[in-house]
Amino acid sequence: MPTIQLDNLIKRYGEVEVLHGIELEMADNEFTVLVGPSGCGKSTTLRMVAGLEDVTEGEIYVDGKPVSHLEPKDRDLAMVFQDYALYPHMNVAQNISFALRLARRPKAEVHAKVKEVADMVGLTDFLHRKPGALSGGQRQRVAMARALAKDSGIFLFDEPLSNLDAKLRGQLRAELALMSQRVEKNMIYVTHDQIEAMTLADRIVVMHGGYIQQQGSPEALFKRPVNKFVAGFLGMPPMNFLNGEIKEEAGDVFVKGNGFSLRLQDEKAQAAKAHRVREVVLGVRPSDLVFDAEAPSDQALTLDVMVSEYVGAQSVLLCQCGADQVTVEMNSETPMALGQTLRFRITPNRVHLFDRESEDAIQSK
Amino acid sequence: MSQAHEKQNPAFYAIIALLVFMSVGPVLLMFVNSFKLDVDIISGTTGLIFLPTIQNYETALCDILWYEPEHLDFCALKFGGAFINSLIIALISTLLTLVIGCMAAYALVRFRFMGRDTVSLTTLMVRMVPPAVLLVPVFGLWNNEFCLDRDGLIGGFIRDTFGGRGDVCLAGTHSGIILVYVAMNLPFVIWILQSFIVQVPRSLEEAARVDGAGPFQVFFKVVLPLIKPGLAAAAIFTFRIAWNEYLLASALSDRNTRTVPILIVNNMSEFNVEWGVIMATGMLLAIPPIIFTLFASRQIITGMTAGAVKG
Repeated sequence: MPTIQLDNLIKRYGEVEVLHGIELEMADNEFTVLVGPSGCGKSTTLRMVAGLEDVTEGEIYVDGKPVSHLEPKDRDLAMVFQDYALYPHMNVAQNISFALRLARRPKAEVHAKVKEVADMVGLTDFLHRKPGALSGGQRQRVAMARALAKDSGIFLFDEPLSNLDAKLRGQLRAELALMSQRVEKNMIYVTHDQIEAMTLADRIVVMHGGYIQQQGSPEALFKRPVNKFVAGFLGMPPMNFLNGEIKEEAGDVFVKGNGFSLRLQDEKAQAAKAHRVREVVLGVRPSDLVFDAEAPSDQALTLDVMVSEYVGAQSVLLCQCGADQVTVEMNSETPMALGQTLRFRITPNRVHLFDRESEDAIQSK
Repeated sequence: MSQAHEKQNPAFYAIIALLVFMSVGPVLLMFVNSFKLDVDIISGTTGLIFLPTIQNYETALCDILWYEPEHLDFCALKFGGAFINSLIIALISTLLTLVIGCMAAYALVRFRFMGRDTVSLTTLMVRMVPPAVLLVPVFGLWNNEFCLDRDGLIGGFIRDTFGGRGDVCLAGTHSGIILVYVAMNLPFVIWILQSFIVQVPRSLEEAARVDGAGPFQVFFKVVLPLIKPGLAAAAIFTFRIAWNEYLLASALSDRNTRTVPILIVNNMSEFNVEWGVIMATGMLLAIPPIIFTLFASRQIITGMTAGAVKG
């Protein structure tokens, strides 16, 4: 399957530049997820790859060949749209086989392909229905089947699950993950939902404001975000940010802020020591805070519990730490009363430090 | 359902009855009178007691009947020929208007080009010109400008094949009338179809492009089937105007290209108005538009785009 390379891709609408030089390389059989908040340029990037938007500057290479001047039909790709975009005057079978019929493939082949693809997505019983008579999930399956039937090397998804209800979304997400393992294609998937990104992706590309913030495997991005935006965007509930200052006392490096004083360890300490700016933001994921009354005070946060949100096996606590709010995720079996002041141990080396001005992560190289 | 059984205000029924009377009354009158002799019609006895006769229809249809009606010595009325003229002119002008109209409307809606809004507006403004204003200039142009010299190659060929004396002109041909009708109806059709094309979701066209359709395939295989209701509405509109039009047809047609509305008026002279025949011809005239409308209106189904995209 083809490799895709975006070389310094720029998109302008009139005077406004919405994409500022996107550089991206997608390897063979890779599931790439472009993720970011609304208006970050992720859909525009995808539509440029599809050929539905003109490229202002830069070039898209598929297998090393420039394609940005080609029509969508000549780019060897299939696409699933956010709003399904099914042809309402055709039944499911006709929708699925539209591309094949346009390519004038033999009837027997078209028939066999429709059957195969319909089996794959579980639509065999609905082949003669019109899209109007299908439910949302079924329509989304038809859209996927239509893309699958085309048998092209590149598979584009433009927020395909965002119109479905939560339960169906989870189910289809799992089916999609299964499908991506079975079919060997280069997939690009656009979403604003970080859970979809984390669960599906081989490689996540986080975009914000027309720039790529960071790309890499879900694990790498989760564990070593390069800036505050990526750190806050990935993970649910989102990371806690506390303003602090780096202070050195008797050889130890501390981050001190309103209501906490945390001793940094090992590489974090070295990175903080080497860093020029003293004003920092401390980032702690809610899951990295563990209830431990015995924890030493320089390895813990002392929090006032304000609200407890019970979500089954886990509870999410909204707490107050000085002037800042901190969320904590913990086992809901732990006895807990509102208004209590509790101590939570921070797992060492799971804290993140960001420069308060540039918002870049402070990491040792 | 329960709403249907609610008692309505009597005034409501009165208004409905009035509206029904207003719309059905004249047709009914025409129908009844078409079966009367002129004597019965003129005599003013408005009653329904008369001896029905098909004599009027026989007179009207004399040139296509397989027998010779007893009451006629000479078949003056060429209804059959005029009917065929009407059909040719109305159908072809409707077809042309739709083909050109849907393409123009699509271009106006989807393509960006200089002066797009101006074009869109002026098409509607052309619609506001009354046909009577067109009459004199078109008559002059069709008779004097758009002619093929009788000694020329094509003009000579046409004259040798079809006969005639002078130059071969647009006036008096089917094409001449069709051309005027197309020009007259096109703005409105473009305007109607624009509003239908706007409703076709753009992502459908994008999906088709990704699926491998060229611009024309996108138009014919995706857009056109979806604006069928609009096409049907436009077709009904265009057909009825072309079928009923009198003014331009009377000026631009000749003996052989005369349409049915012109034929009807020929039954009036300074000595005699043959009401019976006029009514009978009127009844016959009304049949094709009714059939056409019934056929076309079956295409008007609401919710054609239902299920295309998430609403």
